[in-house]
Amino acid sequence: MAEGIRIENLIKTYGSGDTAVHALRGVNMSVAKGEVVGLIGPSGSGKSTLLKCLGAVIEPTSGRMTIGDRVIYDDGWKVGDLRALRRDLIGFIFQAPYLIPFLDVTDNVALLPMLAGKSNAQARKEARKLLEALDVAHRAAAMPSQLSGGEQQRVAIARALVNRPPVILADEPTAPLDSVRALAVVDLLNTMARQFETAIIIVTHDEKIIPTFRRLYNIRDGVTVEEAPAGSPGPDDAGKS
Amino acid sequence: MISLAGRDILHGWGKFVLTGVGLGLLIGVTLSMAGVYRGMIDDAQALLDNSGADLWVVQKDTLGPYAEPSSLNEDTERPIRAMAGVDRAAGVTYLTMQIAHQGKDVRVMVVGAEFAQPGEPGQPPHLIAGRRIVQAHYEAVADVKTGFAIGDQVKVRRNTFRIVGLTSRMVSSGGDPMLFLSLKDAQEAQFEKDSDAIVRQRARTASSPVLNPPGNPAVLEAVNAAQAGSTNVNAVLVTVAAGSDPDAVAAAIRRWQRVTVYTRAQMEEILVDKMIANSARQIGMFLVILAIVSAAIVAFIIYTMTIGKIREIAVLKLIGTRNRTIAGMILQQALGLGLIGFAVGKIAASFWAPFFPKYVLLLPADSVRGFLAVMAICALASLLAIHAALKVDPAEAIGG
Repeated sequence: MAEGIRIENLIKTYGSGDTAVHALRGVNMSVAKGEVVGLIGPSGSGKSTLLKCLGAVIEPTSGRMTIGDRVIYDDGWKVGDLRALRRDLIGFIFQAPYLIPFLDVTDNVALLPMLAGKSNAQARKEARKLLEALDVAHRAAAMPSQLSGGEQQRVAIARALVNRPPVILADEPTAPLDSVRALAVVDLLNTMARQFETAIIIVTHDEKIIPTFRRLYNIRDGVTVEEAPAGSPGPDDAGKS
Repeated sequence: MISLAGRDILHGWGKFVLTGVGLGLLIGVTLSMAGVYRGMIDDAQALLDNSGADLWVVQKDTLGPYAEPSSLNEDTERPIRAMAGVDRAAGVTYLTMQIAHQGKDVRVMVVGAEFAQPGEPGQPPHLIAGRRIVQAHYEAVADVKTGFAIGDQVKVRRNTFRIVGLTSRMVSSGGDPMLFLSLKDAQEAQFEKDSDAIVRQRARTASSPVLNPPGNPAVLEAVNAAQAGSTNVNAVLVTVAAGSDPDAVAAAIRRWQRVTVYTRAQMEEILVDKMIANSARQIGMFLVILAIVSAAIVAFIIYTMTIGKIREIAVLKLIGTRNRTIAGMILQQALGLGLIGFAVGKIAASFWAPFFPKYVLLLPADSVRGFLAVMAICALASLLAIHAALKVDPAEAIGG
């Protein structure tokens, strides 16, 4: 499979001298297009810092990161517009849906293509298509407060996918859900990853979903180790949970 | 691109409109204060316009007759009338007093003017009901704001006057409505003494061997008669002949008559720049304070609204929304609040202006200035919230 995102020897140090904090000490990971991987790690392991680097929220101190063929960071590079990178290349799914409460479902999803410069009509057309794919088109005119938790999460997934980003970062997307719903969300993300050829990284503590990952990165003390999840399905079963 | 500000306002329109109404009442007070100031200037100009004079001849070295007491003998008008460039000249008296009417006290400015000929300076230039004064005594014309009606009897000092005509916008510089009497009646009202004072004055005169020489009672009678009345006026109003230069006529009167003469421009300066100046500064201070309070309220409201949306702003920033889009959203909300506030304020000020005891003049130009000021204040007030929003770290959306 073609490569979605790759990071090599990513280092992030906060501060300098005696007070320097080495949050990431040389992280390596890669996720292919259409693949869903898990990222786990205890508190203070550097997980949040890695997520911020992957999400182009902060710049690493050194290392290399590519999304598809595009080099995002390289040693000595100064990234110009992180905001545009996030808008065009990365989708986000949060622990809570965090939909914009004053926009209806369609506009919550259409906002991203609008920000990318598409016309309102075109953006809404794309949003509705995605809402249909995620089976929430019937709530297109509803406000977020009128949706159930599951519907809100689907709309959040639609928002993450609407600009067809090569990478989606999902931060604890199943934390507030019971087992059945949590597994359903992971199943949906697997389907979407394949359908839209998107690399999805799910940051999680959720024991219920860890076995579903084909590949799992564990981060400890700022270094990632790839490991096979205990009781995980074989490669052929990935995403079919 | 959709309007994020518009959607947010529509989403919480009730709260937004109520806040706008509250702000609007404050803006209404501000507009009314400006209207009070304009009303004072308009009253002063109406006083000058309606006097029909081009020149005001007053006691030497005084700012009379409106800003300072001024007393001239009424005969002063005769030589002035004969001077080159003078069309008409007439003495006037002004006296502000309380008049009891139907159980209430009405504060009026009693104006004594010469009514022998129509069109003399000092007369009310127009009537809205009734007729002008035609008898030498005991008739009056009142401004409609006094509340008097045709046929009403009003008592001024010891004499009772019948209202024969009504006029309008005839007010003093302080906004008191005018009551016109014949010059003789007004002089009596202004200068007459009460009975006790007359008795005491006559006793003192009689006790003086100079004023009451033995064997010659005619001297005492003559002195008492001279003391009984007054032939003084507060000013002589002059209209200049067509084609004459008021400044030149004023200079000629000053040179020959030992009086002070003011032109229209000078009198306007006395009324507006001297008499109203302190009130204007007072109102100006209120306007500044109200503007600051309005700005603080808008800043607080917009800041609170923004802080309440920190998570949404973080999400917007994370998904790639430009800072200027977020700043624009906050700015538009502040301007929207100002727009609602101004509309409510304008309506409120127009509604309650007629209930003010003094004239409140709401000029369209002031409304335009007020609108621009409100928008500028709202824009400035939004800066704090914009600053807070731009400081929001997009990482807050991903729990960092």
